[in-house]
Amino acid sequence: MILSMQHVPVILIALPIIFGSLTILFRSKSTLQKTLNIAVFSFLLALSIALLLHVWYNGILVYEVGEWGKYGILLVADLLGAGMVVLSSLISLMAMIYATDYMDRKALDSTFFPLFNLMVAGLNGIFLTGDIFNLFVFFEVLVLSSCGLIVLTGRGDHTKMADKLEAIFKYLVLNMVSIILMLVSIASLYATVGTLNMADIAVKVGYLADAGELPWHIHVIAMTFIVVFGYKAAMFPLHFWLADVHPSAPAPIHAMLSGMVIKVGIYGILRVHYLIFSESMFMLQPILIILSLVTIAVGATSAIGQYDLKRLLAYSSVSQIGYVLLGVGMGTAYALTAAIVYLVNHAIAKSMLFLTTGETLYHAGTKDMRKMGGYAGSAPFLCIIFLIGSMSIAGLPPAGGFFAKLLIFDAGLSAQFYIPIAIALIFAIFTLFYLFRTWLTIFWGEVKYCDPTEACNIRNPTTSIKVALSLLAGVVIFIGVYPEPLIALSSVIAGQLLDPQPYITAVLERSVR
Amino acid sequence: MTTLIAKTVSKVCVPIIILFSISLLLAGHDNPGGGFIGGVMFASAISLFYVVFGVDHIESIYKNHWDKWFAVGLLLATITGIGIMLLGYNFLRSAYVSATFPLIGEISIISTIFFDIGVYLVVIGGILHIFKEMGEDK
Repeated sequence: MILSMQHVPVILIALPIIFGSLTILFRSKSTLQKTLNIAVFSFLLALSIALLLHVWYNGILVYEVGEWGKYGILLVADLLGAGMVVLSSLISLMAMIYATDYMDRKALDSTFFPLFNLMVAGLNGIFLTGDIFNLFVFFEVLVLSSCGLIVLTGRGDHTKMADKLEAIFKYLVLNMVSIILMLVSIASLYATVGTLNMADIAVKVGYLADAGELPWHIHVIAMTFIVVFGYKAAMFPLHFWLADVHPSAPAPIHAMLSGMVIKVGIYGILRVHYLIFSESMFMLQPILIILSLVTIAVGATSAIGQYDLKRLLAYSSVSQIGYVLLGVGMGTAYALTAAIVYLVNHAIAKSMLFLTTGETLYHAGTKDMRKMGGYAGSAPFLCIIFLIGSMSIAGLPPAGGFFAKLLIFDAGLSAQFYIPIAIALIFAIFTLFYLFRTWLTIFWGEVKYCDPTEACNIRNPTTSIKVALSLLAGVVIFIGVYPEPLIALSSVIAGQLLDPQPYITAVLERSVR
Repeated sequence: MTTLIAKTVSKVCVPIIILFSISLLLAGHDNPGGGFIGGVMFASAISLFYVVFGVDHIESIYKNHWDKWFAVGLLLATITGIGIMLLGYNFLRSAYVSATFPLIGEISIISTIFFDIGVYLVVIGGILHIFKEMGEDK
């Protein structure tokens, strides 16, 4: 009945919303809420894994909200969507476990839990919806709830409230601009083909293209969608906001933003462009490749000059997103596989790195790297986790990043993109340099005094923070040691992206009431 | 804004606006109207009170946590969707019953009305919570 597999897509969206409203009603009981929230997020992770397995064995799952027949709103769980939901549920569960000890009591008692639940509902909605207007609606849910989360404070958070408010203002205004652009693009698309269902749009655009009557503005719409999603994904020249906004957030939210929320842009390009605008991709792919290379270069070079640990990692995110976009831009089946593997690995490793960073900053009492040093003795656990994260992002075995980078470069070489791969390779060395320089500065060398003096030794990670970090580190190492399941899943997803016929068939040829 | 004229007029107007907003809410599922527009109207009526009498004065008479309204509304709207799933249908599918009452006549009740009431409460709670937090100026 209610828990039959058919209903799982909607439960993944509705359960966080229900729970979010319950947490408003019982907001002062934060001890109870911590337990309940961790239970709910674990349940969501279990459900999402069950959904992925169901989709893997039984094909695409289409869910009609409200049973409105032909005109209704659909939720579609295909392998890409269900896989992204598993990823976001994993990271949000870990961020939640971490946040229960990290966030201030005041934040936990006020808006943290409701907004976090709404943010997860927004993420799940984006990944599961089959309707382009609902994509827009869930983007709004995501943006508004993450705005409220950035302003909260945690214990390792040395950002001033004025800086946070400035960051939120930037985030909100620029997101509104991009979201209005998205609305305009959706409206133009609707005016052209008269439907909002993504599979239906794809079929109709396909008919127009077959008849040789594809209107020129379809290409323009495709480009505005690239701007919208490129903005979300912090693609050059739309990356400037990220290094101001993300470091102002407390560590668990920073991990969610950099781990999942910027991946939403990549998901959008994979979903919308490869499904609907496959006719325009010949034009967009070179643009994506060039912009992704500039993104890689700008992110990596900006990261080298930073002394603020969180800003450094934020610029590193910009650079790493460039690699994913490079894979997306190259557009062969192999390159898409590589891009998806890279995306998964970056999401897990980067969110782990950000969670570690929050705890490291708490340990140090400052966010300036020049004032840190020699913490390997006082915080050995953080030292190891930071090393694993850095190795994964830099692409060293046995961490997961090794296979991600290997696949990207191999895919580029087999598709004969020699020059882009050469440039990407150079900046991969930059990544290695700045991450290991950071690690050496913080954890090795002369022991520097903390601020206030000698308080370091009592500021150590609690058990739940250690559990969250160890689990994420375990996943990163697991991907690095045994990547075959992930690569197999990604290559099936890449095949489905390049040939969306099963998706279209599943959506359009369902039985309507 | 605390003139005698404003106070007197708002005391007369606000009940009428609230009644009209409820009528818009109940008309919502098959006529122009709906939870959102009704909620905005209710919120504007209450904010008229806040502006005319001042937040502190209203608080001293009746203290209200508008965020609770938001939570209850969201809960009601989602539970309407989940509830129908217990009967084996899909999320948010609507059902309706017609019943004949003495003196009133035939009334059809659509389950969508609960969703609309949820939206109504969410809008009221959201707008007035923001309005009050901004107005308190702390």
